Amino acid sequence: MSGWSEHVSAALLGTERRPPPELPGAPPGDGDPAGRLLDQAAVLALRRRAGRRPLTGAEPVAPAPQEDAPVVPAAAAGRLARILAGEQIRVLPEWLDAAAAHGRRVPSRLLPELLEKGRSDRVLRPAIARAAGRRGVWLALQNTDWAYLVGSGDDPGGDAEVWETGTRQQRVAHLTRLRGTDPAAARDALGGTWAREPAPDRAAFLATFETGLSADDEDFLEKALEDRGKDVRQLASDLLARLPGSAYGRRMAVRARECLRPEVRTVREREQTWILVEPPRGHGEDLARDGVPFHPTGSFAPGRRAGGPVGTRAAWLREILARTPLATWTDLFGRPPREIVGLPVAPAAAADRPAEAGAGAMAGSVHIGWARAALRQRDVGWARALLRGGVAVDEPEALADLLTVLPADERAGAAADLIRWAEGRPELLRVLERIPGPWAGALAEAVVASIGMAAERSSYRHEHALTQLCRLADQRLAPETAPRLEALAARHGAAALTDLTETLRFRRDMLKELTP
Amino acid sequence: MLAVAPDAAAAKAAAGVARSAGWSGTGCDTAAVWGECAGGGKSAYRAAADLDEPAYRCSCPSRKFPCKHVLGLLLLWSEGAVEGGPRPDWVAEWIGQRRARAEKARERRRAAAAKTRDPRTAERREQRVDGGIADLDQWLRDQVAHGLAQADKAPYRLWDEAARRLVDAQAGALAGQVKGLAAIPRQEGWPDRLLEEYALLRLLVRAYQRRAGLPPGLRETVRSRIGFTVQQEEVLRDGERVRDSWHVIGSRDVVQDQLTTRRVWLRGRESGRPALVLSFAAPGRHLDASLVVGTRVEAELAFYPGAQPLRALVADRLATEAGGAPEGLTVGAFLDEYAAALGRDPWLDRWPALLGGVRLARNGGPRVVDAHGDALPLLSAEPWRLLAVSGGAPVTFAGEWSPRGLLPLAAWAGGGTAGEKGKRAEGDDGDEGVVIL
Repeated sequence: MSGWSEHVSAALLGTERRPPPELPGAPPGDGDPAGRLLDQAAVLALRRRAGRRPLTGAEPVAPAPQEDAPVVPAAAAGRLARILAGEQIRVLPEWLDAAAAHGRRVPSRLLPELLEKGRSDRVLRPAIARAAGRRGVWLALQNTDWAYLVGSGDDPGGDAEVWETGTRQQRVAHLTRLRGTDPAAARDALGGTWAREPAPDRAAFLATFETGLSADDEDFLEKALEDRGKDVRQLASDLLARLPGSAYGRRMAVRARECLRPEVRTVREREQTWILVEPPRGHGEDLARDGVPFHPTGSFAPGRRAGGPVGTRAAWLREILARTPLATWTDLFGRPPREIVGLPVAPAAAADRPAEAGAGAMAGSVHIGWARAALRQRDVGWARALLRGGVAVDEPEALADLLTVLPADERAGAAADLIRWAEGRPELLRVLERIPGPWAGALAEAVVASIGMAAERSSYRHEHALTQLCRLADQRLAPETAPRLEALAARHGAAALTDLTETLRFRRDMLKELTP
Repeated sequence: MLAVAPDAAAAKAAAGVARSAGWSGTGCDTAAVWGECAGGGKSAYRAAADLDEPAYRCSCPSRKFPCKHVLGLLLLWSEGAVEGGPRPDWVAEWIGQRRARAEKARERRRAAAAKTRDPRTAERREQRVDGGIADLDQWLRDQVAHGLAQADKAPYRLWDEAARRLVDAQAGALAGQVKGLAAIPRQEGWPDRLLEEYALLRLLVRAYQRRAGLPPGLRETVRSRIGFTVQQEEVLRDGERVRDSWHVIGSRDVVQDQLTTRRVWLRGRESGRPALVLSFAAPGRHLDASLVVGTRVEAELAFYPGAQPLRALVADRLATEAGGAPEGLTVGAFLDEYAAALGRDPWLDRWPALLGGVRLARNGGPRVVDAHGDALPLLSAEPWRLLAVSGGAPVTFAGEWSPRGLLPLAAWAGGGTAGEKGKRAEGDDGDEGVVIL
């Protein structure tokens, strides 16, 4: 409609400078050119609006693949909408995991908000990938902000080509998958490009060896001990320390045997085996090559707790023990782990007996070393022995970490014992922090008892502890404990307790809705 | 239930209150629910809700409205945890007062409507409006005489002052329109749009000046566009009544000048007629939430007078049912319908679109495309929710059409053709029914 654009030009210039164009059949005007322009424009504008034609050439978005998982029930969908809007937002990972565990998926209308959450919170991404369904991946492909979802889940993402052309994250994902099915192929793939990779990438790729680690990896890892990248070297030595039958393990065992030796003493006419400890006197290049730095973490930095730094010699001892195959000790002492853990420990020489570093501290270092070794080597026998042995470890976190090594059915009981042991000590929170949820059964009992005790004490310091305790418990404690804690909350009325029971109830209802 | 909460924090607090053991003396009957909640103070807070209106009351000092106690009480009630019982005195008294006040207000309005207005007041207003209209006509002609080329550099004052003169002339609706024009020169393609708007204003001016010769419907349309309002009582008494099962197809809140306007779009299932129900609220107050998108309301509507009746009041509400997807039009049929409506009311700026079996396209900007390949542009930068819900498949789509494009309101997934509906085999789950966009 050329008439319209002529009218627009005339209006832009002004009718004072350019007379309005003629329009056949225009309404009669009063002679004023401006008025005539407006009247004619009105006719044309209405023609334009009423005569609007549909756009053509639009290509519909390619349809999403058929969904195979059913969507969550309506009540659960409604609750997810509330969670995404900010109510009890911390339970989101649990919602997603529970939905995925029941083979359900997020309703498609909530996907945009959910994917947006994963954009700012990396930790959420795997859970999102499991629960978002095929529609989620399809949607993520349409928005570059959500591209993280593609390849972050169980989605295969791509084949060998990814290894040649992908980003670092994609390549790590590819390698991890390959390690799961064919560790040797993954090792060969990495070996092919190893020399060309920059150090941070080498470290990231080497970390995937954690999956499917076996004696076959030993040569590769030994070579990596000579790597130029410090992180790569450290990682290689940490991985080697998990391989009990390796040359690395034998080297460490030699060092460790120099530090620890049995001695039979006669105390009150009874023969007793003692462990005499002599921490390493020096630090050499070979020790550094095997992953024990001159200043191991915590050796001289101000201690995180009372007691301060442990000193370099004790720290070397801990590191060496942590990297020594645990079979070394069962061979040396000829006893099961349970008995070894109970043996008395003494410094070997009087010179190693300064005032503050007595036999207790020495025993602590030995036990911490063993605890770290049991964690690395996933040794159930030693983990059980250390947890049950009641060893006075001044780092109860090391014991808490061991819980993951135990078979699932033993964990709750052992954790409960640990909590009862730490009850009333400042370490309690640090121990709890390391016990993954869900806390059920005996463990839940112990935690509820701890909360009860913290609530009974009423000093300011304890109120603070109670708040922290509740905050730790709210996502992990089994929701069935809610009624008992509510009774407690009714008695004490602490805000932290009320919040805790509220969250537990919310989670209980949430899990009920998600259970078909 | 938590949709009535003033904010998320209140909703959260309400969930806590609902759970607390502090409730006593709770009860409900068909019109009210009440209870006493032990709060921070010495005596318990008395919370009650009038379910008819709805209205809320609580003796706590919270400035939030409704407060967490009332919300908590409603949550308990919605969970079925409140038993029926006789009203205590304080509730009966409050409800009684409310009913009496409402009756009085109705009485007053009836009286006001019945009272013939002072003819001199009306005459004075007509004169003022006449003056304002003549003034606007001159202003419009001045704009095109001097040329619009500099409009994108003009200060807001240019339009604000013209609008202020119209306010003084008691042509409120017109003033609002003129004020809104200031935003146009800040947008792409402004010369066309600005000339369109000026031309249509001029058309309104001319129509008003010749109002005596217009057919009655069109005259009402012109008067309402200028700012002459029609009392609700008049609409209920004289307005055209249409009884139908009305699909609630969309709702949109717009905040302007300290006033929130809620536009709820309806579509009659039998008559196919569109209707617009407006409600207004000051900031922080509650808008009418009685029409829920996705439901179908069996009701008699009373339409405001006009050449193309659109705005309506719910005169008589009979029942509310779960909606189901309404029948949508093709893009071509919708544009024909819009053109016909524009023929009756040339100033029609918004028209509800209900399209069936449309898919989303993203090449060259977001669009909806029907089965024939006809497309309309969407006024939404990235329609992620529509994309997520449809999964690229055809949906029934509701939007607010303006000459610039479609503003998405709601969608019904899987509600395309009959074949699509048959394929859907999902039961009671969270992925069904209407989705608000």
